[in-house]
Amino acid sequence: MDYKLALSDEMLLGVEKPERYIGHEVNSVIKDKSAVDIRFAMCFPDVYEIGMSHLGIQILYGMFNSYPDVWCERVYSPWLDMDHLLREKNIPLFALESQDIVKDFDFLGITIQYEMCYTNILQILDLSGIPILSCDRTWDDPLVVGGGPCTYNPEPLADFFDFFYIGEGETRYRQIFDMYKSLRKSGISREAFLHEISKLPGIYVPSLYDVKYNENGTISSMEPIYEDVPRTISKEMCPSFNDQFYPTKPVVPYIKVTQDRVVLEIMRGCIRGCRFCQAGQLYKPLREKDLDYLKKLAIESLKNTGYEEISLSSLSSSDYSKLPELLDFLIDTCNKKKVNISLPSLRIDAFSLDVMSKVQDVKKSSLTFAPEAGTQRMRDVINKGLTEEDILRGAHEAFLGGWNKVKLYFMLGLPTETDEDIAGIGDIANKIAVEYFETVSKEKRNGRTIDIVASTSFFVPKPFTPFQWAPMDTREKFLEKANKTRKGIMSQLNQKHIKYNWHEADASMMEGIFARGDRRLCRAVKSAYERGCIFDAWSEYFKFDIWMETFRDLGIDPFFYTTRERAEDEIFPWDMINCGVSKAFLLREWKNALEGKPSSNCRSSCLGCGAGVYDVGVCVEKYK
Amino acid sequence: MIKLRLKFSKNGPIKFIGHLDVMRYFQKAIRRADLDIKYSEGFSPHQLLSFAQPLGVGATSDGEYLDMVLNSFVSASDVMDRLNAVMNEGISILAVKELSDNEEKAMTVSFAARYMIRFRESLKPDFDWISAMTEYLSEERLLAVKKTKSGEKEIDMKPMIYEFSFDRESESVNLLLAMGSLTTLKPALLFEYFFKSLGRQFSPVMLDIHRLDIYRSGQDEKGLYAEPFITDDIEKRVYING
Repeated sequence: MDYKLALSDEMLLGVEKPERYIGHEVNSVIKDKSAVDIRFAMCFPDVYEIGMSHLGIQILYGMFNSYPDVWCERVYSPWLDMDHLLREKNIPLFALESQDIVKDFDFLGITIQYEMCYTNILQILDLSGIPILSCDRTWDDPLVVGGGPCTYNPEPLADFFDFFYIGEGETRYRQIFDMYKSLRKSGISREAFLHEISKLPGIYVPSLYDVKYNENGTISSMEPIYEDVPRTISKEMCPSFNDQFYPTKPVVPYIKVTQDRVVLEIMRGCIRGCRFCQAGQLYKPLREKDLDYLKKLAIESLKNTGYEEISLSSLSSSDYSKLPELLDFLIDTCNKKKVNISLPSLRIDAFSLDVMSKVQDVKKSSLTFAPEAGTQRMRDVINKGLTEEDILRGAHEAFLGGWNKVKLYFMLGLPTETDEDIAGIGDIANKIAVEYFETVSKEKRNGRTIDIVASTSFFVPKPFTPFQWAPMDTREKFLEKANKTRKGIMSQLNQKHIKYNWHEADASMMEGIFARGDRRLCRAVKSAYERGCIFDAWSEYFKFDIWMETFRDLGIDPFFYTTRERAEDEIFPWDMINCGVSKAFLLREWKNALEGKPSSNCRSSCLGCGAGVYDVGVCVEKYK
Repeated sequence: MIKLRLKFSKNGPIKFIGHLDVMRYFQKAIRRADLDIKYSEGFSPHQLLSFAQPLGVGATSDGEYLDMVLNSFVSASDVMDRLNAVMNEGISILAVKELSDNEEKAMTVSFAARYMIRFRESLKPDFDWISAMTEYLSEERLLAVKKTKSGEKEIDMKPMIYEFSFDRESESVNLLLAMGSLTTLKPALLFEYFFKSLGRQFSPVMLDIHRLDIYRSGQDEKGLYAEPFITDDIEKRVYING
């Protein structure tokens, strides 16, 4: 059989999971190199099993490969064993499909999903033999483009990318490819190309902007260096999905990956406006897919992949207006085909419990509530519209239905948080236990009992949320609060039924630095990478001390980015981007938060966030 | 209820896919092919599917087997066509045979495996290994220590080698080795002790192993024999002495 692999058998047999590097998966796309004009390497800068689980890449991969003149291939971070081997043998990084080296591609697209992957981006560039700094690259290198949620504040990565694509990928790439083809034919220089492409909507070329700073370190101005480069970059938004490409032939991995199922995106955006949530703002307005279209996608995807499970994807599936009809259809179809349905965290009520009892083993599955905060006051601050009554009513019904495992998610370090709010976490957990004992009489328990797991994460303020002005807690403060939470739980009557988990504070601090960082942090990312930081999202490889040492050596104060309270009129590093909601709206919401005033959701009344100008989705729905 | 035995190949890059992942691959392929496979009872039903013998990661094969149970089917060749239409490059269904109800699972009745073994191009030994191995295999006893779940055990490999022949042109050895529920000889163990007998270093990665077929045993007037799982060719029978 005729095939080519970039690595020898000996190398592949010498690493953990060689399947990560050989491609050839079901539905992966092979094209004739000589018959395409554009080679696109699509990268998720984390290990294969994580990257293969990402829906966004599957969408763009399928869409790009539907263009006859483009061949899109995949690249993931080589795991450390392979990383060492590639360096030792001096083998450049390659794409999975053709096994050709990444440096020879026209584009290297990198999706940036979380802050802790930044050093992995440099690993990809480094192993590919592509200069790490955009300014050092020539037409011998691919154009390095970034996309994904972290590009809404791309500044800590500004030096490493040639351009960023801000917003949803479905809309602008065809135009980029056509422009690339015609301009390259004309013999344009790389600099001139970037200048031209910066005029396209949604495209941000960081090298074409000059940032000036005040004495106190904040930004005084951010100006394009040419007059014809836009001052503001508006996000790309896909007005409707019913005529849009959706990948019903996603690549099916051989090895088990994190998201090992058909993923059916039912809508994009969210009506809920939780004030800590970035995705809720970035993907406004909410746009639903038609029921019939979803039915068709579900059937085709199951047929083309052979997956034994399908999962619904959205930010808040309970808000999908035709959810009962969709679930009826899926339960019927999937039962026949012995396909499991995995439900995302639905709001717990009579309807969702009924559905869950049909698709899950009640005895094994657990209920998930995300109150996010321990008191109603705190939940009003963050605009989380879930009351203690809702939770206890949901729990009551679930206990009647046979459930006895409950998971609770909270955040610590939210703005205005007091000891009372922290104590509230233990109180809620205890009340749920009491509800169980009152609902299920001893003789009906059959030797089972209530089992509650409460988890807290540390709150990280994100750009384009009302909390972008908020100071973040220090690590010490976080750990002190986790300790208080633990004590609060231990003091409860039913404490032996409650287990408590909390996240690490070091990683949260790093996330906080980069989430609201500016381009002066690029030096730190580069230096930390050179000092051996990589796979920071993996706690066993995260080297917090080296990061801190790097900041110290470079004279960067990390607390400038985390614990500092921002003035209302401060110019943020991400202010050149228009994500659809206005800064004035976010500020209004920040003030409402500080006064403990909740706001309504998009379906009950319009808050005038600014996304109305798109004139689509929930913004044009009739109010119920 | 229909019981089928399928013979398939595993060549090319997918030789790096481990046994469990090959099983997962087939579970999905069966759904893509829309076969009316039978599922087990219970809350999380699984397909009634079983594999003969795992193949080591890195080895290729033209003779792997799996058994499946279907509720209904058109014909064995229809099953083969449907599966081949959804197979990935490197895996093909080579034959499908309907089994009688009382036929035991392939896993239970497997008896031997035929291999074609070479050295990887970059890891070829720098001596005439064919002559040396011919001599080694002519010894009366071939002792080795086999690692098992319960510890180490000394075995004699000689009676587990049913047949061997060398091919100078392709620099390969063709071996029929025991592979059953009672006794199994892995090619790497044989080579390890062959190299040891010469005082040379050996690593399993040096071997390019290709499995040609899996055999079951039978008895006729000429004695105990081994034959490929799916075959109509009596000539393929290999008689085992002793």
